[in-house]
Formats: sequence, structure tokens, C-alpha cells
Amino acid sequence: MTKLPTHTEKKLGLVIDLDTCVGCHACVTSCKGWNTQNYGAPLSDIDAYGADPEGTFLNRVFNYEVAPADGGSSQTVHFPKSCLHCEDAPCVTVCPTGASYKRVSDGIVLVNEDRCMGCGLCAWACPYGARELDYDAGIMKKCTLCVDRIYNENIPEEDRVPACVRTCPAGARHFGDLGDPESDVSQLVAERGGMDLMPEQGTKPVNKYLPPRPKDTLDKQPPKALETVADEAKGFLGWLDKALEKL
Amino acid sequence: MAMEQTIYRELKATPGVWQMAALLLAFLAAAAGAWFYMEHHGHAVTGMDNQIVWGLPHVFAIFLIVAASGALNVASIASVFGQTAYKPMARFSSLLAITLLVGGLAIVVLDLGRADRLIVAMTTYNFSSIFAWNVLLYNGFIAVVAVYLVMQMMRRLDYKWVRLAGLVAFLWRLALTTGTGSIFGWLVARPGYDAAIMAPLFIVMSFSFGLAMFILVTLALFKLNNRPFGDQLLVRMGRLLGIFAAAVLYFTVVQHLTNLYAAEHGGVERFILLEGGIYTLLFWGVQVIVGGLIPIALVFLNPSRSSTILAAILVVIGGFAQVYVIVIGGQAYPLEIFPGYEVLEGWHEGVVNPYTPSIWELMLGLGGVALALFAAGVGAKVLRVLPTNLSDSNVAAKG
Repeated sequence: MTKLPTHTEKKLGLVIDLDTCVGCHACVTSCKGWNTQNYGAPLSDIDAYGADPEGTFLNRVFNYEVAPADGGSSQTVHFPKSCLHCEDAPCVTVCPTGASYKRVSDGIVLVNEDRCMGCGLCAWACPYGARELDYDAGIMKKCTLCVDRIYNENIPEEDRVPACVRTCPAGARHFGDLGDPESDVSQLVAERGGMDLMPEQGTKPVNKYLPPRPKDTLDKQPPKALETVADEAKGFLGWLDKALEKL
Repeated sequence: MAMEQTIYRELKATPGVWQMAALLLAFLAAAAGAWFYMEHHGHAVTGMDNQIVWGLPHVFAIFLIVAASGALNVASIASVFGQTAYKPMARFSSLLAITLLVGGLAIVVLDLGRADRLIVAMTTYNFSSIFAWNVLLYNGFIAVVAVYLVMQMMRRLDYKWVRLAGLVAFLWRLALTTGTGSIFGWLVARPGYDAAIMAPLFIVMSFSFGLAMFILVTLALFKLNNRPFGDQLLVRMGRLLGIFAAAVLYFTVVQHLTNLYAAEHGGVERFILLEGGIYTLLFWGVQVIVGGLIPIALVFLNPSRSSTILAAILVVIGGFAQVYVIVIGGQAYPLEIFPGYEVLEGWHEGVVNPYTPSIWELMLGLGGVALALFAAGVGAKVLRVLPTNLSDSNVAAKG
């Protein structure tokens, strides 16, 4: 039986800053690149240069225009989404063959590609829609947190982070052990009020999101009238100024 | 107990039987072609995607799997509940239950991303997965019902053993449908499911769909071989079908009332019941009215042979719509990523997931139905499972 571990030695995950993410999709392309070059099989693309391209991605960026339900200004949120490596991952428990599993050593949720038969039940069970059926391989693929990169001693140390983190030009993605309260990512989460995605689902995602700051309050507080910064001219110059204005 | 006098004979190979076989084989060939096409090109050529993970083939499959356990009702009514009028039909009821299940499972297997890895599912079990339990329940059902069928055909066997086998098969079929319903009931992530009532709902659905399928298939085979099927017996089965259809409606009402009571499910209920477009139309128009209210009215207000046949057809159509609304409608409703915010724009996120089934999916689904019917026909051709005479006088004489 594939059981979820009650405790993992680490909780490796991502912290994504929705305030600084500019939606450039650099993380998407670097993820696709790394996982196509180094995965068991390339992430498939269907009709890549046609009118309706489709493909398998382990990380996607969604763009929302959201408005608070109680009114107020709407704002655009660029929302990168990938597997959140949940502590109580439903994709693991529903997998009939045990192909999905969560590692005790670092908490990463992975798919054993030799056991997956592509039934799709994990994609149903995942409340975040973070799993994708690879059309060519016929099996489920998902974010591995670049497990073939973060422990790889053949690459420079600064590169031993997930490809999406290494490439983000806005510095909106952070990687680390969220089980260690002293880690940079844990402190960042504490400082910025990092949030779980859909906490009501009870999946206890490891990845955290840093919420966007409110962008403007123009609708609620109209701008004040500009104050006069120069004194009005008096005497001869004042008379001359008025005379010229009348012209 | 009086010795059973029913005479069972294999189906005669009349021209009508051959024509029906040829038609079903054509559907099977089309399904095979569709499967090869989808296998070659991947699921990209279907209407399914990462939002609508299970599509039209699964609607066919789940309908057949649910109907399979229900088709066994007739045998259960005879063996377990002692209704002798149903006893002559018990053998074919068992056979049809097996073939419907095989047809449904064939669709599920052929729609897998890697159908060749079925062996993995048969040998590697994650017992925390309801799907793994279902693999055992489905295989076990075929084995248990096959033994039950063989025991029914052993004329010298003491009937108490048949009754015992019937009881085991009946309990197994309840477990099977509970397992199928629990695939949905235990899906916490989707607000359209996540309800304990899905298991009993699927059980009453199986009673209704299975009996309707049994009536239609049995009548068709009797017609092809010019064997008499009594009006009174048919009307009696029609009344039972009406009760089952009413039970489905009742459980459906409770299902939606329960969801409406929970605030977090309010959105999906509004979607299915009011604003879901095709899903709302299928729910009210086809599932509730065509597949529920009209058949009930037909069998109780105007009980007759034709009313029963029409009611059975409508129950099948309504049942198919019900499974479609549950499977596709439940996935089409978007997940709420930002509670408290209104999503004004989102690429395939926060909006209703579109789904248009492809012709390949339809061909595969119809192929599963054809496989079930073809296998039932072959079974009736080589085994003595169909009685020669079910006229009212004949049934009454034995009853």
C-alpha cells in the first residue's frame, strides 16, 4: 500500500511572490526545457507551430483579473501554478497502482513512470489541476521540483535549484526547506504572510504564495486638489500679469 | 420444492440473429479503429484535456458498469427474494450482468493512457485507492456471478446452494456499485462530488438502469427467436422499473438538497440546476423528465407492453444523461482558486471548462455497448440460458 509519510525529514518547496511576478513565462519555458532535455521522455507538444498548439507543461502561468467581492479596484494577478507537493497529497492516496508517491527524505511528490497507466484519477483528485497527462507517453507528469537538478553535484552549486527558480528574472520564485523555520524561505513566508493555496481542501500544500499588495485606492480616496506652490505676484508685476492674461 | 420445469434452449441462428451480429460487429470494428487512432495520436485527438480528464468513453463505461450490477437484479429477485416468476430469467440475468461489465471495463481499459499496462493494475495494488478496490470488485464480480450462473445451470444441485451463491452475488454487487459510486463520493477536490450519498445513489441507479437494459435486451432476443414473452410479466417488470426510477429521482433530490445545504457546494449546484447550459438541459430535460417522470407516468398510469418498453428505453436515455451530468458536469465546473474574488479573466481557469466529445470517443463508447450485447448474444447462442417460453400462462403455471 502506498501510504503518505506521517513525517518527512525536509519539506522542500517553492515560495512564489505574486507581488513581483510579472507573468513573463520564463519559468514555464525553462521548466519545459529542463524537463524535456533531462526527463525520461520529452514533454510532448502537439501541433506546436499550428493554429491550436497543445502540450504538456509541469508549470504554467495563469493571468487573472480579480476583483474583491466587496467591491474595489480590480487588479491583474500573474499566477504560476505547479505541483504544491502537499503533505496530505490526495493524488498519492487515489493512485491505484501506487505510481504516485511522496518521498520521506525531502517531501517531494513524484510519479513512478513505469507504474503509471494513465488512468487520470490523480488529476481528478488534485484540487489544483497540477497534473497533466502526457499525450505521447500516455502517463501522468508533474513538477518534480527538478529532483534531477537539486542534488546533482555535476553542476555548479548555484544551479542546484529548480530551473524555474534559477531563471526567474523578477526574483519571484524561491526554493528551500519549508520544514525548517530558520530557512530563508520560511522566514520570507513569515515576513510576508505567505499563504496556502485553497487551504480549505485540507491538503496542506508545502509551496506557499506571497500575496500581492493592493495596487491602488483611487476609487475609494479621490486625489486631493493640487496645492499652490508659488505665491501670487503683487504690485506692478501683479498688475502686468493680469493685464497680459486679459490679452 | 417442485422441480423446475422451465425449458432453456440456445438461441437459434435465424437471419435476424445474423443481421444483429453483423451490425454489432460493425460497431466493434469501428471501435477498434477509433482505439487504434487514439492510441497512435494520443488523447490530443479527443475532446478530453487536463480539465475534463474523463470524457464520453467513461460515461459509456460507467453507465455499463452500473447497469451490469443492476442487470443481476432479476436473478437476485428469484434466488434471494424467492420470486418464482423471475426464476426463468435468472440465468440470462447473470450472463448479461457479466457481459455489461466486460463491455464497460473494455472501454475504461482502452481509454487508459497506457492500456498495455493493465497488467500493472492487476498485479500492483494501492489499497488506499478506491480504484484499486474497484479492480478487485470488478474481477471478483465476474468470478462470483460466473459461479452463480454455472450453479443455476446444474439441475441436480440442491437449490439451497444456488440460493447461497445468489446471496453472495447480491452482496457482491452491492459492494461493487458502492465502490463505483465512491470513486465520486470520495473525491474531495471536486465540489460536484464529495458526498457519501453517491454510493447509495449509484446503487439505485444500477437497479433502474440494469433492469431497463435487461428488459430491452431480453425482449430483443426473444423477438429475434419468436419466443413468447407475456404481457403481464412485462407489465409487472415495468412497475418494478417505475419504482426504481422513482427511487433514483428521490436520491437525486436528496443529493442536490444536501449539496444546497452546504455553502461551499452552492456554486456547483447553481451551475448544474440553473446556469450550466447543456448540463442543466440534460439534468432537467433528459434525466428528470424524459428519464424519470415520463417513464414513471407510463408504467403506472398506462400499464401496457408498449408503455413498459418505451419506459425502459427512456430510463436508459435518462440514465445516460444522468451519468453524463455527473461525470462531465462535475469536471466542467471550475475550481475556485481565489475565494472571495471574482475572476474576470482566466485562461481555462476559473471559467467553465469546455468539452466537445470527438467522434473517436463516441465510437469507442458505442463499441463497449456493442461488445456487451454481442457477448450476451454469443452467450445465449452457446449456453442454455434463455427460456423457450415466458408467456403469462406458462409463468403462472410454474409460479
